[in-house]
Amino acid sequence: MCRTVYGVHYMAPGTDSHELFENLRLELRRGSLVLAVLTALRKEQYGYTLRKTLSEQGMAIDEGTLYPLLRRLESQGLLVSEWREEEKRNKRFYRLSNEGKAILKQLLAEWQSISKSLNGML
Amino acid sequence: MDLVDSYVRAVAKALPERQREDISRELSEDLRSQVEDRQRELGRPLSRAEQEALLKQRGNPLLLAARYRQDQRSLTIGRELIGPVLFPFYVKVLSFNLGLTLVVIGAIFLALSISGQRLGFGDMFSTSLLQVFIQLAIVTLIFSLVQHHLTRHPDRWHLKGMRGTFALDLNIERDMESRIAGDMKGWGREVSRFESISIIIASAVAIAWITGVQSYPFLILGPAASFLKLAPIWYQLYFPILLLTVAEILRAVINLARPAWIPFRMLYRIVLHAGGLAVACALLRAGSWVMPVGVGANLTAGYLRTVHIVNQVFYWVLLFTVILSAGMLIFRIVEFVQRWRWHAREMGAAKESD
Repeated sequence: MCRTVYGVHYMAPGTDSHELFENLRLELRRGSLVLAVLTALRKEQYGYTLRKTLSEQGMAIDEGTLYPLLRRLESQGLLVSEWREEEKRNKRFYRLSNEGKAILKQLLAEWQSISKSLNGML
Repeated sequence: MDLVDSYVRAVAKALPERQREDISRELSEDLRSQVEDRQRELGRPLSRAEQEALLKQRGNPLLLAARYRQDQRSLTIGRELIGPVLFPFYVKVLSFNLGLTLVVIGAIFLALSISGQRLGFGDMFSTSLLQVFIQLAIVTLIFSLVQHHLTRHPDRWHLKGMRGTFALDLNIERDMESRIAGDMKGWGREVSRFESISIIIASAVAIAWITGVQSYPFLILGPAASFLKLAPIWYQLYFPILLLTVAEILRAVINLARPAWIPFRMLYRIVLHAGGLAVACALLRAGSWVMPVGVGANLTAGYLRTVHIVNQVFYWVLLFTVILSAGMLIFRIVEFVQRWRWHAREMGAAKESD
């Protein structure tokens, strides 16, 4: 009985800390995902190859997050898409719109500024 | 239709209609690309189990579809009872049920007023309010239970059949493979716990209602209970009806503990259907199901006409029930015989291969 109580007290802070780190890490990555997707879509790609590209670059994103994000970015006018046949199958290709290109430029400048400030503080 | 199609259809059913086709096409394309990639890696086609594992990684179709929804409404009373995933279905089911209830109540009131019965606004209002409250409570309770399960076990689901339907998997001990293995034996998939729990809740509500009707006939007759009463046949058949409902609860409880007892469920259902058909026939043979409350001189022509109309409605409803029950009973017996033969064949083939 005593051992069980000790176990609970011992485990809880570690678990909370790990969960807290995970939440903060996800939050940080979520903020960077839009930038990663926009950057990757400077070159036209369809969803599956985009996901692979991001994954290879260390920005793995699950499909359930990527596709709704692509739709949101398209509805905001940052992306344009079209259905086209490739390898005998219809695929939806995405690329940056002109507005997307302008926004990406500003976001990258902002990203570099944040990165520079943080590096200065570290 | 393959597993990918089934999965895409399951997701599509939960998508907003105007985006449905577009999202389904893209999802299907993405899944096929992934399957092809994997096949290239392995140098062979994926087995059914491997395809299922791949789809499992994508997650519950309901949750996936919810991510595409802009609408994130939920029902919260203190804590979240029904989240954004189920909320659109909750609203649909509730609207349908309430709409149907109000149409039925409206039709009853219309029939009563045509037959010359005077009805007060108070009667109409209280009857409608009671029915709305009952529907609201039951639908909310059922959806809250499903939400609770979905929140606790988002990964417990399985594709069901080839029409793109899927079920939340409330089975704790068995995994998908054992379900398929169960199916291979010819008896079909094991009974889902969601089904058993739903039947227990619905039957318990039915018992409360049947018992309540004995003392409060307005539960079945509505405002007409002030001048109509139930015929003796209902009181004579009260215990058989109650017994059948309790037997159904017992069956669901047994299947909750023993979901793999599929032949038991099939046989039990046949017996219950036969019992239900016997009760429905006995009711139909009675010929009169409601009687006037008053006697002698109080019985005006309009009054008797109302009784006649209500009895006619009961006659057609009961006739329809008897035909439906007979059809269901035949279907259940044929299904049992077919499964039995299939099972015997599977067992024979397994012995031969040993």
